[in-house]
Amino acid sequence: MLLRPLAALLALAAPLHAAEGTRISVTGEIIDTWCYFSGVMGGPDAVVGSAHHTCALWCSAGGIPVGLLAEDGTVYMVLKIEGSAESAGGDTQLNLASHQIVADGMHYQRDGLNYLVVEKVVTDNDITVENHLDYGTVPPFAIPEGER
Amino acid sequence: MRYLLALLALAMPAAAQDFSEGSEAKSWNLYAEQPARFEAKVVDILCEVTGDCPENCGDGTRQLGLVRSADNVLVFPNKNSQPAFTGAAVELLPFCGQDVEVDGLLIEDEDLGARNIYLVQTIRRQGDAEWTKANRWTKVWADTHPDAAGKGPWFRRDPRVNAEIAREGYFGLGADKDAAIKDELFE
Repeated sequence: MLLRPLAALLALAAPLHAAEGTRISVTGEIIDTWCYFSGVMGGPDAVVGSAHHTCALWCSAGGIPVGLLAEDGTVYMVLKIEGSAESAGGDTQLNLASHQIVADGMHYQRDGLNYLVVEKVVTDNDITVENHLDYGTVPPFAIPEGER
Repeated sequence: MRYLLALLALAMPAAAQDFSEGSEAKSWNLYAEQPARFEAKVVDILCEVTGDCPENCGDGTRQLGLVRSADNVLVFPNKNSQPAFTGAAVELLPFCGQDVEVDGLLIEDEDLGARNIYLVQTIRRQGDAEWTKANRWTKVWADTHPDAAGKGPWFRRDPRVNAEIAREGYFGLGADKDAAIKDELFE
């Protein structure tokens, strides 16, 4: 009698290796996930857009994972973009830093995080969040003194 | 009933678990940080999540993760120990597929969707006595960018970053707009 619920509970406890994905379309900004999640550079509104663009370049080139911050606030950890699996410092993600994109791809979930394999960047709207007048540069030293 | 409760405990998310025992991680004074030392297997996250699995975890091009031994949770190391805009994949690559122990800071911030995010500070193979500091990134970058040698931090000298800034400006809005913004902000 208890076998069926026991089996169901065991299935919940089992590893979730290579989960099935779900096809989705997401509109959002390609962000630097460390600055966003950790708050090391300020609040979530300060670590997006034009104010944080140079830092986003540094972090992307530095191999920090990029995410897609959707309009509803969900962060999708981006594992692949249009055939490029170079999620640790690759050119494709670097070139999209701070851009708003419309992405079609496969969505996976594991242990509280959302993952996205972008199959197609349907639209690249470039940078749409212009927040530099609110926050200046984030961090303040993003522009060298000699170039200000 | 006892068995059911045990199975339910196994099936429950492990977010509430405390992995701070024995940790010697240095604080970064982050809002949601918790010291966390645990045993895990180093995995290629794309492989782990989707089944797309190349040799040697992608040779450093992919994000690497930590499948924690205590609860099978996939922890995502976003950051190494250097305060230099540097990730963790380079640090974990030498341990691809191996069972390790790590020490660092776990970030859990429900408001931002941060779950099982990690800053790795030290790593060692299970059974080894010596810890390896997770601070190789800048040396690896210098070794692979001999033409960018010079003074100042790597991110001021990185050819790809500098090409992007030359093309689109520090604010990413184009060279003309960049100059106008700088005038407005710094005049």
